[in-house]
Amino acid sequence: MIKKISLTLTTACLTIICFAQDNSGEFHGDFDLNMQSYQEDELIGAKAADEIILNNAYLNINYTKGDFSAGLRYESYLNALLDFDDEYKGNGIMFRYATYTIDGLEVTAGNYYEQIGSGLIFRSYENKGLGQDNAMDGVRLKYRPLKGVYLKGFIGKSRTYFTYSDGIIRGADAEINVNEALNLESKTRIIVGQGFVSRFQADINPKLLLPQNVAAYSSRLNIINGGWNYSGEYAIKLNDPVGSATAEENNYANGNALMSSLTYSQRGFGIVAEMHRVDHMEFRSERAKEKQYIINYIPTLTKQHTYTLLALHPCATQPEGEFGTQIDVFYKIKKGSLLGGKYGTKISFNFSRINALNGGNSFLNDNSEHTPMFISIKGEELYFRDLNLEIYKKINKKIRVTGVIARQSYNKDVLEKPGNYGIVESTIAIADISYKIKKGHTVRIELQELLTDGGDGSWSMGLVEYTVSPHWFFAVQDMYNWGNHDLEKQLHYVNINCGFLSGSNRFAIGYGKKRAGIFCVGGVCKEVPSSNGFSLTISSSF
Amino acid sequence: MKNIITLFSFILIITSCDVVEGPYLIDDGGVTPVDTSSNTYVKKVLIEDFTGHTCSNCPAAARELEAIHDLYENQIIGMALHVSTSFARPNPIGNPYDYDFRTDWGDSWSNFFGISSLPSGMVNRIGYPNEHKLGKDSWLDAVIIELEKEIDFGISITSDVNGNEGTITVNTELINDVVGDYNLVVCLTESHIIDWQKDGQTDNEFYEHNHALRTVLSDESLSSSTTYIIGDNISLPININLNTLEQYNIDYSTNTAEAGNGNAGGWNAENMSVIAYIYDNTSQEIVQVEEAHLMNK
Repeated sequence: MIKKISLTLTTACLTIICFAQDNSGEFHGDFDLNMQSYQEDELIGAKAADEIILNNAYLNINYTKGDFSAGLRYESYLNALLDFDDEYKGNGIMFRYATYTIDGLEVTAGNYYEQIGSGLIFRSYENKGLGQDNAMDGVRLKYRPLKGVYLKGFIGKSRTYFTYSDGIIRGADAEINVNEALNLESKTRIIVGQGFVSRFQADINPKLLLPQNVAAYSSRLNIINGGWNYSGEYAIKLNDPVGSATAEENNYANGNALMSSLTYSQRGFGIVAEMHRVDHMEFRSERAKEKQYIINYIPTLTKQHTYTLLALHPCATQPEGEFGTQIDVFYKIKKGSLLGGKYGTKISFNFSRINALNGGNSFLNDNSEHTPMFISIKGEELYFRDLNLEIYKKINKKIRVTGVIARQSYNKDVLEKPGNYGIVESTIAIADISYKIKKGHTVRIELQELLTDGGDGSWSMGLVEYTVSPHWFFAVQDMYNWGNHDLEKQLHYVNINCGFLSGSNRFAIGYGKKRAGIFCVGGVCKEVPSSNGFSLTISSSF
Repeated sequence: MKNIITLFSFILIITSCDVVEGPYLIDDGGVTPVDTSSNTYVKKVLIEDFTGHTCSNCPAAARELEAIHDLYENQIIGMALHVSTSFARPNPIGNPYDYDFRTDWGDSWSNFFGISSLPSGMVNRIGYPNEHKLGKDSWLDAVIIELEKEIDFGISITSDVNGNEGTITVNTELINDVVGDYNLVVCLTESHIIDWQKDGQTDNEFYEHNHALRTVLSDESLSSSTTYIIGDNISLPININLNTLEQYNIDYSTNTAEAGNGNAGGWNAENMSVIAYIYDNTSQEIVQVEEAHLMNK
């Protein structure tokens, strides 16, 4: 049935696109190809692929004419890269849509991505780097009935790999910009929003009473005044037991989540204070308790590091229960001052701390009931702590330096995999030096050090990157796990990459070893297996 | 205005939600198990549970299998296949987790069905090739749907094994006329094996491993013909020697399995079962399955 619908809509899209060629619309598209060879490497535990070479590729084509647009995405996994779930296999047009807007009403049929508020109750999105794509397939309406009032409603099924989940997802959201709606000329701007999502899945369980329609609500508030900005959102998910035969695993408790953020910023200075509390808030497109069905998103509360060793122990949000706080301060020391020098100095300080809820997440069934304290920090199991200071300094016209020092605590048992690893305490230092040799020629050196007695032990990393803009770049990187407690695993992970950019096309080839680890984007993480081999990346757009 | 009405109607429709009040457990489990003790054949379901002794989430899947078995009793037949080079890999002999539960057939099926994460399971292998791998929380719904299917084949098993040797006979009776390409698989599993298992954050030295696949005695075409007539009887006698079969696993662990250590013996025939199932060679669906004790108790 799904295949038939898919075929019909695809045909419709293609027809529209062909028909449109006689008119004056615009086509845009982009293409990505990621090819990787896999050789066996016993030392790092890398496996050879039977196919030798694996490949992921995507082509997006979009057509726009006035208030009408249509498009599709062709995906090819022959076969999928090893760090992708092998459920991604084969070729197919897995995303196709048509949308138009008339008199303030936007109508979309086919696939779409959508988010309510910050995503606490619903987020449909794709991130190819994470192998994540839970696109909706159905219809969506957006409407602005009055100035400052924005409504949207949608219904559909959520993508899971190459199929769609059993649950039917319905959602609605209303957002009111109070100033726009009431024509207020106030310096204070207020935006309020209310979202709702419901999942229907039939109950055939003979052992337990299950809700067939599981609902989640959220309310949000945003107040902006000058340099001040407050943003808050509170969400509730009603009873959502997993429906398994193991009765004691079924949790009928409501879930809830609270996010609160206060920001103050002015020229050269900014401060953000944030907290969130999440309790039994994983929402899925099916009852099954598996990550591929997740349709909501709890924004992470820790700094998203880009330097490799700073991100070696990343914090993945625990949607079933955590309490976190974060403070982020940015300050620019003025030019001409003692510390600021000729160009000024940028300083960024960040502290975050995440811990378990008191006694675990909310739980309710016939034999057990638990509601954790709303705020409890002292004595609770620590999940993650990060204290870091970053200084950026332009020394002269040729040299720029970034230095970072950090102290991190990482609960490997919770954030990575259950075991008896304990808390990995690490101290990290980074030096990033960029030197402009001459016009268009820049060399950048990264030196990184991570010291720890826990986990896989201490690491060093060095990177040299040479850029000849606008066409070429070359990079050599070595990660060395010199502190591994297992002497046989004190290994070097060397990577060599070079790339060529020409117009809208980008080509990159590389060779190297990747360590097994956790890769995260925005608090969503995946396990990546170790690998050894060549890679080819081509991206293009028009 | 018309659009506003449409949109608000839409919102009103979806604002329905269910709030279930306790008690949540239905009194009698909602199920009256079918009497499987008579000679009448009833539909049975095989749950293949891909697992590993250092897979911390796998015991939850084993408990789910037992819970489904408690619900439908003998209509549910379980098989635990220890697979993967990471979670099922044994440690060097003398250390915890030094037993090698892996088998040639378990590894082969794991590859064939693309099992890449644990725990993972199949319910009568329904959904192959794209939707056959099910998380444990999806097993019950799949079982309920499977149990509603009619059966075309009846299987009975007789075992005449004493000591280490004997004969197992699997008899298949046609209940309906059938056309198709079917295979009959006969294998042995063992329960009540006490050994290490990671269970959440606990390393349990005395975990009870049940339904562990030990060996496959036959995986052949049910018949040379693809046409089966109601009332047909097909008998497959198999002579076995447990010592030989056990040695095969030891040799597999020693010579073939990745990082194997040869510690794959110590079988206890008293705790072994014979499982026989018929599957469609095209769809891979298991259409009927039966289980019997290896030793007459």
